[in-house]
Amino acid sequence: MDPVAGIGLRSPHLAEIAREKPATGFLEIHAENYLAGSPARQTIEHLRRDYEFSVHAVGLSLGSAEGLDEKHLDRVAGLIERLEPQLVSDHLSWSVAGGRYFNDLLPLPYTEESLAVVVRNVQRLQERLGRRVSIENPSCYLAFEHSILSEPEFLAEVARRSGCGLLLDANNIFVTAHNLRLDPADWLAPLPADAITEYHLAGHAVNYADGERVLIDDHGSHVSDAVLDLFGEIVRRYGKRPTLVEWDTDIPALDVLLDEARRAERVLMAGRADARAA
Amino acid sequence: MLALPDLQKAFAGYLSGGDGVDLARIVRGDSISAAARLRIHRHHVQQSLATALAATFPTVHTLVGEAFFGAMAGSFVVKDLPTQPVLAEYGAAFPDFVDGYAPARDLPYLPDMARLDWALNVAFHSPDGPRLAAADLDSIAPDRLLGLALDLTPGSALVPSAFPIDRIWQASQPGANGSQVDLAAAGASLLVGRRSDDAAFVALDAAEAAFVTAILGRATLEAAAQAAFAVEPAFDLSTSFGRLLALQAFAALR
Amino acid sequence: MNTTRFAIASALAAALVLPATAQAQPNIEKCYGVAKAGKNDCQTAKSSCAGTSKTDNQADAWISVPKGTCDKIVGGKLTAS
Repeated sequence: MDPVAGIGLRSPHLAEIAREKPATGFLEIHAENYLAGSPARQTIEHLRRDYEFSVHAVGLSLGSAEGLDEKHLDRVAGLIERLEPQLVSDHLSWSVAGGRYFNDLLPLPYTEESLAVVVRNVQRLQERLGRRVSIENPSCYLAFEHSILSEPEFLAEVARRSGCGLLLDANNIFVTAHNLRLDPADWLAPLPADAITEYHLAGHAVNYADGERVLIDDHGSHVSDAVLDLFGEIVRRYGKRPTLVEWDTDIPALDVLLDEARRAERVLMAGRADARAA
Repeated sequence: MLALPDLQKAFAGYLSGGDGVDLARIVRGDSISAAARLRIHRHHVQQSLATALAATFPTVHTLVGEAFFGAMAGSFVVKDLPTQPVLAEYGAAFPDFVDGYAPARDLPYLPDMARLDWALNVAFHSPDGPRLAAADLDSIAPDRLLGLALDLTPGSALVPSAFPIDRIWQASQPGANGSQVDLAAAGASLLVGRRSDDAAFVALDAAEAAFVTAILGRATLEAAAQAAFAVEPAFDLSTSFGRLLALQAFAALR
Repeated sequence: MNTTRFAIASALAAALVLPATAQAQPNIEKCYGVAKAGKNDCQTAKSSCAGTSKTDNQADAWISVPKGTCDKIVGGKLTAS
């Protein structure tokens, strides 16, 4: 896929997009919203003729020690066979344990043991889909005492051992760095450029825990200038890739979201954050 | 330090209402404590699942309002977490939970509204397929027609209630006028089904409801008609069967 | 075929040739549209107040009074049975 900017396709915009077919680089959907045979599924199957698609799964739970849920994997595989998307991804996190699904991207300790689990699950996913997938860095709110690798070291090693791609979410890097008191520049350093397949951007909220500022990855506002600055730095360092703007809370009018994608695309093309207003 | 399976088990226990003491011990704390950091995840799990339930049960949500729904859904979530990741399929047990939820006991119609919301959700997420048209039955001999067991379209359901749930549903829609619904009015049986671009319901009278219930139970058309006549000897079979065909309520013959 | 079976067969057959006007469809409630497809969007995005401690013990339900449109539903029976 060309290094263009696209939007996360959200249901309040679905009818308008199907009707108006506005120009945008690509559409990304959350796999789990389209596994059943709803009218919404029919709509996106029609939209395939007009747009490039990316399928972003949120429920594969690639960090689960108990392995992947093969039934869920079959359903995701069915969607991907049908849509033939350009990109397929999920997160470096887990959300299932003991048959319960927590609807959260839960953190992993970055250890050799976790590495073996994630690599095994990613390999199984790639084998079942018959294609390469990409793994996204999560937004973090806590770290485990016994982690021995940094998150980017861990991601780089998953990519090296499994052959998967990496999806870099600039907002998640920013949120994680703030919440875990890291320097975003240090975070970026260890990544293998040739594994990176896609970028994500979104807004975050400020909240408080124990009276201290925490950044919450709520996808509920414009991408902040600070995150766009970081994104410009990422593009300079690793090059242009397809870039997605996500907006999931307080979803704005479609035009606002499309404008946000154009703003991201200007930074992407110039590799400079000061190009965002050009 | 906990091995990953044990760590995930401990985290799951915490998210299901446990105290998380074992977990907090292995999370780095600083000016934000390990416990406060863990709570961010617990809040998210509870709130995001309550939000998903509000989307699946919009009529219940509108009827009781955000605060009450949040409390009710929050109580349900910790007891009955999803068992798979597709949230459109989460909440099958919510109507029965509402039925037993003591703070809602003054709203006796609420469980049936939850059942209607769930039925619409299931119908919406069911596959669309070929429908039965009157012409498909034209060439079938009357004797065979009597012995035919038809399928309703996938995801169809009958929601019977002692309350006027169709009117309560209407009064709960965005933009509904302020007129009141009298609970003493007759109950309603609603046939819920998928259409090409949405899910919808239609009200049935008692005899039609008996006819559809029998068909859902895979009864033959003859047996279904007999069930309706048992409820109402003057049941107008032609009109009702014609109406169901016109509604495209039946799946095509296999 | 006895009389009842004959009557049922005739009524079913008659339904197949009803004119379209006799099949007018009253009161179909259109309930759902494609806007209903987004439930899994709430995983990748954290609830913005997730850090706030007052979200613990969401309102005690016993003192939380329904404040929605249920005040429109009046009178009638007090129990479902």
